[in-house]
Amino acid sequence: MRELPHLGLRARITLIYTLGALLIASTVAYSGFALVRRELLADTEASAEAQMWRNAASIRRSLGNQSDEAIELALIPLEDRPETDESTLDIQSLLNELLKPNNALELLVLRDQARSSSALQIRNIPDELEELVLSGEGGKIRFRQSGQPRYASGVFIAQLDAQYYEVVNLQPLQETLDRLRNILIGVAIVASGAGAALGYSSSRRALQPVAEVSSAAQAIAAGDFGTRLDNTVDPDLAPLTSSFNEMVGALEARIERDERFASDVSHELRSPLMTLAASIGVLEHRRDELSTPAQQAVDLLGKDLRRFTRLVEDLLEISRMDAGAVEADLSPVFLAEFLRFAVQQTDAPDVPVRFLPEDEELVILADKRRMAQVIKNLVSNATKYGGGATSVSFLRNSIDTVHIYVDDNGPGIAPEDRARVFERFARAGADAGRRDIAKGVGLGLSLVSEHLRLQGGKIWVTDRENGRPGARFVIEMSLFDPEELDEEFAE
Amino acid sequence: MCGVGTRILTVEDDERIRQAVKLALEDEGWDVDEADTGEVALDRFRENTSDVVLIDIMLPGMDGFEVCRSIRRSSDVPIIMVTARDDTHDVVAGLEAGADDYLTKPFAPKELSARIRALLRRSRNPEGASMERILVGDLEISPDEGLVLKGGEELHLTKTEFKLLVELASQPGKVFSREVLLERVWGYDYFGDGRLVDVHVRRLRTKVEPDPASPRYVVTSRGLGYKLQP
Repeated sequence: MRELPHLGLRARITLIYTLGALLIASTVAYSGFALVRRELLADTEASAEAQMWRNAASIRRSLGNQSDEAIELALIPLEDRPETDESTLDIQSLLNELLKPNNALELLVLRDQARSSSALQIRNIPDELEELVLSGEGGKIRFRQSGQPRYASGVFIAQLDAQYYEVVNLQPLQETLDRLRNILIGVAIVASGAGAALGYSSSRRALQPVAEVSSAAQAIAAGDFGTRLDNTVDPDLAPLTSSFNEMVGALEARIERDERFASDVSHELRSPLMTLAASIGVLEHRRDELSTPAQQAVDLLGKDLRRFTRLVEDLLEISRMDAGAVEADLSPVFLAEFLRFAVQQTDAPDVPVRFLPEDEELVILADKRRMAQVIKNLVSNATKYGGGATSVSFLRNSIDTVHIYVDDNGPGIAPEDRARVFERFARAGADAGRRDIAKGVGLGLSLVSEHLRLQGGKIWVTDRENGRPGARFVIEMSLFDPEELDEEFAE
Repeated sequence: MCGVGTRILTVEDDERIRQAVKLALEDEGWDVDEADTGEVALDRFRENTSDVVLIDIMLPGMDGFEVCRSIRRSSDVPIIMVTARDDTHDVVAGLEAGADDYLTKPFAPKELSARIRALLRRSRNPEGASMERILVGDLEISPDEGLVLKGGEELHLTKTEFKLLVELASQPGKVFSREVLLERVWGYDYFGDGRLVDVHVRRLRTKVEPDPASPRYVVTSRGLGYKLQP
């Protein structure tokens, strides 16, 4: 069975309001309609029946005391009677003069002759009613004829041995009822629409606090820790608002503490390092005045002081990145020129930089300091673990991206370790024939991936091309679109 | 030779760092004055005119930015800020306060002396062939005399601002990349900090532009650099 798509809270609230409004509106409309219909029909039929009785009584009064001959004569239309006849009693006139509201049609059956002021004939009267009337009781019946609803009532006038019927056409009433029904359907639809709109707007209002919390959370995730929800007096929302604000406050305090810690550590470590660096500098400057063992000691000190300094800087850099307080200082950089300079700063300044002649002018948007550290760390990584870097190259990868490759000569990195080498102090089991990263690769590569992330770049590691031994680190950066220059650097 | 008689004032509250830096600078043949607080630094500066001032940002009491601003009010002496962090905030704030250059702790003495030499070179009259007077709009630049007139009135530029303006004015209309300006004005290699250029351009604009918000002379060119609009 297929599941229904999951509706959002807002859609559900709106749907419930809509269905509720539809239910109420249609119930009210339907019952109202049924009531009106019943009342109207009953009224019409009752008044039609009463009128029929009055007319029958009037006929009985007019003919009841007449002789048979007079009645026979009255049945003959006036124009067919002999001129000598002076009797004025005329059935046709009598029927014409009867009161007939509701446009009722009457039929009088007298001495087996049917008379009517209209075209109504005995066959138009339903047999059921005729039987009821002939049996001596009055009767009434609702029926359809020529597709229209009608109401007929009749009575047997015993004194005259006559049947009297009246038929009312209910079609006009039916049309009125149809119009009413259409209006009520329209009202129900409008009411449902209003329900939907009400549901939408009230769900919006009800969910407004959720939307506010969500946008506040987004702002906080983006690093704006000063974000708070507005205080509210609404007793339903106050707990949410205050606990959210407390949470953010605690988070902010904690991040501030961490940042302060990083900066305190920075100051504490940098001060002794500064003294050491300045002192070693003096010693190195005066190296020639020292004895050979002292020279060697100074060289060792100098080298390891620089290594230690770099490690401290890496640690501080990464802790600042964790605090989320850093931003890349991006500017357009000519890639070829940049890589030539950057490689010169590495442990292996002679590694060639290769690219296609037409790519000399490619520009990327990068933070030069961070990007130089990326190249430096990758080349140093290749020197330490990968048998030395063989080349740094780049190739346009698509219309708007470029790949920068740092290839080494080592045994490569096993596929299962390829993602993990970018973790901090990554360690993994050695794989025969592959580079043993169990020794740990320190912070270098994790810093590389963080630096690239800040600049909108990516890095991964693969085998080198064409089955050559060694690892290839691939950096993907977006090419810089000169059209964006003015916007980016408008001052 | 800019060694003999050159006085350097170092403002640093950590005694051991102060001593080590003093040792290193004296090793270069320079005279060193020391101050452990901002107040002392301002006294020393008044007593003994320094050629270069080295200020640590984190000082007890009056901080490095304030010391820098105080000195700037009366002097265009080259100032190097020393920061414990290379956060944008501290670096830019230091440059805005009037520093010509900055260094991040820990730095090698070689690096410091290279920066000082570059600043001292800038303080002397421009080396090489003398340059013609340059007229741009209502600006009149006399490189040899170290003078800039705006509508006939002399502008007070620091040595770095002056050097920056002269570099841009050497070829009006030509775009100079940040790298080129860093190399020519500050003596940095390719990896110098572009913010040095940006902040100094901003400060230069407040002095030479009729409306610094919409520059008429020193304009940004397509994000790749700056040029002097002829």
